[in-house]
Amino acid sequence: MTRSLLVLGAISLAALIFALAIGSVNIAPSELWKVIQGEGSALHRTLLLDLRLPRTLAAFATGGLLAVAGALMQVLLRNPLADPYVLGLSGGAAVGALLAMLTGMGAFVISGSAFAGAMLAMVLVFGLAHGTGSWTASRLLLTGVVVAAGWGAVITLMLAVTPSYKLPGMLYWLMGDVSYARTPWPALVVLIFAIAVILPLARNLNVLARGPMQAAALGVSVRPLEWTIYVLASLLTATAVTTAGSIGFVGLIVPHMLRLVLGNDQRIILPASALAGGTLLVLADTLARTVIAPEQLPVGVITALLGVPTFLYLLHRSR
Amino acid sequence: MSTLHTRDLIINVPGRTDGFPLNLSVEPGQTWGVLGPNGAGKTTLLHTLAGLLPARSGRVVLSDSPLIALKRRDIARQLGLVFQERQDSFPATVMETALIGRHPWLSPWESEQADDQIRAQQALVAMDVDHLSGRLLSTLSGGERQRVAIATLMTQNPDIWLLDEPTNHLDLHHQVKVMSLLKNQSAAGKAVFMCLHDLNLAARWCSHVLLLYPNGDACWGPADSMLKPSALEQLYNQKLVTVEADGAPVFVPVSSG
Amino acid sequence: MIKWKAVALLLGLMLLAPFGVAAPVCVTDDQGEELCLDHPAKRIATLSPGATELAFAAGAGDKVVAVVNYSDYPEAALKLPLVGNHTRIDLEALLALKPDLVITWRTGNPPAQMEMLRALGLPMFAIEPRTFEGVSKVIEQLSTLAGTEQEGFAEAERFRKGIAEIAEQYRDAEPVPVFYQVWQTPLMTINDNHLIGKVIQLCGGVNVFGDMPRLVPRISAEVVLEADPHAIITGSVEGIEDNQLDRWKSYTGMTAVANKNLFFVPASPISRPTPRLLEASRDICQRLDVARERE
Repeated sequence: MTRSLLVLGAISLAALIFALAIGSVNIAPSELWKVIQGEGSALHRTLLLDLRLPRTLAAFATGGLLAVAGALMQVLLRNPLADPYVLGLSGGAAVGALLAMLTGMGAFVISGSAFAGAMLAMVLVFGLAHGTGSWTASRLLLTGVVVAAGWGAVITLMLAVTPSYKLPGMLYWLMGDVSYARTPWPALVVLIFAIAVILPLARNLNVLARGPMQAAALGVSVRPLEWTIYVLASLLTATAVTTAGSIGFVGLIVPHMLRLVLGNDQRIILPASALAGGTLLVLADTLARTVIAPEQLPVGVITALLGVPTFLYLLHRSR
Repeated sequence: MSTLHTRDLIINVPGRTDGFPLNLSVEPGQTWGVLGPNGAGKTTLLHTLAGLLPARSGRVVLSDSPLIALKRRDIARQLGLVFQERQDSFPATVMETALIGRHPWLSPWESEQADDQIRAQQALVAMDVDHLSGRLLSTLSGGERQRVAIATLMTQNPDIWLLDEPTNHLDLHHQVKVMSLLKNQSAAGKAVFMCLHDLNLAARWCSHVLLLYPNGDACWGPADSMLKPSALEQLYNQKLVTVEADGAPVFVPVSSG
Repeated sequence: MIKWKAVALLLGLMLLAPFGVAAPVCVTDDQGEELCLDHPAKRIATLSPGATELAFAAGAGDKVVAVVNYSDYPEAALKLPLVGNHTRIDLEALLALKPDLVITWRTGNPPAQMEMLRALGLPMFAIEPRTFEGVSKVIEQLSTLAGTEQEGFAEAERFRKGIAEIAEQYRDAEPVPVFYQVWQTPLMTINDNHLIGKVIQLCGGVNVFGDMPRLVPRISAEVVLEADPHAIITGSVEGIEDNQLDRWKSYTGMTAVANKNLFFVPASPISRPTPRLLEASRDICQRLDVARERE
């Protein structure tokens, strides 16, 4: 099974190189190599080091974050249709970001506001779902769906009252746009940290996926584990959405596709999700910025266009 | 060898007054059958013994330690449970499901080793489901899934086996096979404690019996002293006729008049 | 002994000086930020259709190397390389064209991308003229930055004079209450801070929504009916009548509708802060004259 991870790793690397080479200005691999060595033309250096490399790494990190968050949500809610946004995290982040845009704040405040919004959503849903006694997966899901709808209403209101010239920026944020990412490092660090934390827990997740009672009977401390997954998935989603807006589809489809191909062992699925999600978003972002250049498409459109046929094909082929 | 004791245990059946306090001693070598009509609290009792539900009062003691003081993982190494109802869960193959039984024994970084695989394989063979080892659980019949669940418990191999109606969905052949396997396990030193729907299975296979009444009353003891027709008729609110077959009593329900 | 060679050299240099000997140029934008270039710009990127027009008006049209969508005036601009939409620039394409000056639209271009360009060290000049004088000033500033002062200042002056003439002509004109429809759904108009509002004022019109706090207010049909303008104007492709004002035709009680004062003017010239506002103003003024006749 580590073979599949190695294959995925190789594909990720190839995707990254592809993304660095392709753009409105194509850079041949030999040129890429020159720039890495410290030479190459000034234009290529700027394009590669200041624009493409941060953007590609941000795309990879964001895709990985969303896919892992999706896999975790699907285990937590024991629902293969769960995605990272089902509990209202992206809605909270969107309200935070749009509010910052509405009041004319700079990029840093917008990011901070988005993150704060997501964290608020996490606490809100957790608190509301608690009720009398503890929360169950279905109660959490229901609470999350309702809260998400609430955020949606607030977002619609904000879009309705914002001055026209601010609308395109807001819409692009809502559609998801990797070009917003100022630096890929927070996302990459969070992704690596999350994988490091979750891998020792992965077998516990396998057991949890059999059902909470069964898991408890097999020695899993169910409540603390569920709480950990919830917080971790929220952190991953909040980071992803703060980096590149709410990019849809990746968190739902990537873990699904991987399960069709690789089975249900979370020890494989989680790292594979990080790699596959990252690869998907890198490819999608490359297409988004080149397919009708100089027009720029929102990356969420591309992830859906790429992901849907692939998923249908895999579904068709699977047992 | 682990033992399971209860001290004045009163299980929490919502909406029902306190039942009779239970002071049970489940020891290695014993095969317990819990009998009672629907709603008597059999499943609640089992889940309380496993630490999944809180008791209303009293304590459960697992090998000299109160259950509430133990970590889940330590409990799972001594005590295992086969549920009556399957829960909604993610797809998994039969082999994966059986292997899950090794979870309490592996540290977080450990992966299943060869001997874990062998254990699981042997369990599947014993339960006659090894030929289904690669199939998804959701594609199996109710009986096959039941056998896989028991195979998982076998793989887990705790000292104390709790089972909730283990013969549900099983055909006659497999009912006998499972009950004799459980009998063998307790003969080999395990303590088996199971809820049974069919009191004749208890009569044939159990060494000890606990009768749970819908109003909370309970009595327990060796099987032959518990399986008295009058007590059973009262328990099930059903007239019974006793017959003897192959060395054990068989209770046949008859309509009155 | 007069060193004739030296004198000749000096005279020659003095004669050559106007022909592009590099000298630093500095301008201050409407927010007070100063931009200095080492020498007049040779490769200009304009990130809005208005900026493109203004660059050409400033005489720097042959120096523009990158434009965005809808840069359709003057015709020469149609042939220039595109670098995306004003709301989403293709930064790579822009950088590949190696501009040494980027003219941006203060509120129209995405702030995140503008920050990125700034961080890459590109000289940026943000414009957003809100008055006629502002338009002239921007033309002059752009021509300074491009080293085409002669043409630019002349064009700015032509524009000033033209506007002043119209102002004089309509100084005592009968005021006409006007509703300018920017967009049909949602129903949008402009207040008096907007250039379109100023055009209306220039022609002796009174924008019924001139006092609204927002620059581009979204309103309902009810408040328009309540205000009862005598003329309703909207922009359309080349001023050809289309269906944008059809919804008012059923309100026969409205003065504008009763007097058939539903007017269409070419959309681009009135919507952009460029010298074409002169023609746009003449159009609007002419329409308002028609409305006055029908009073």
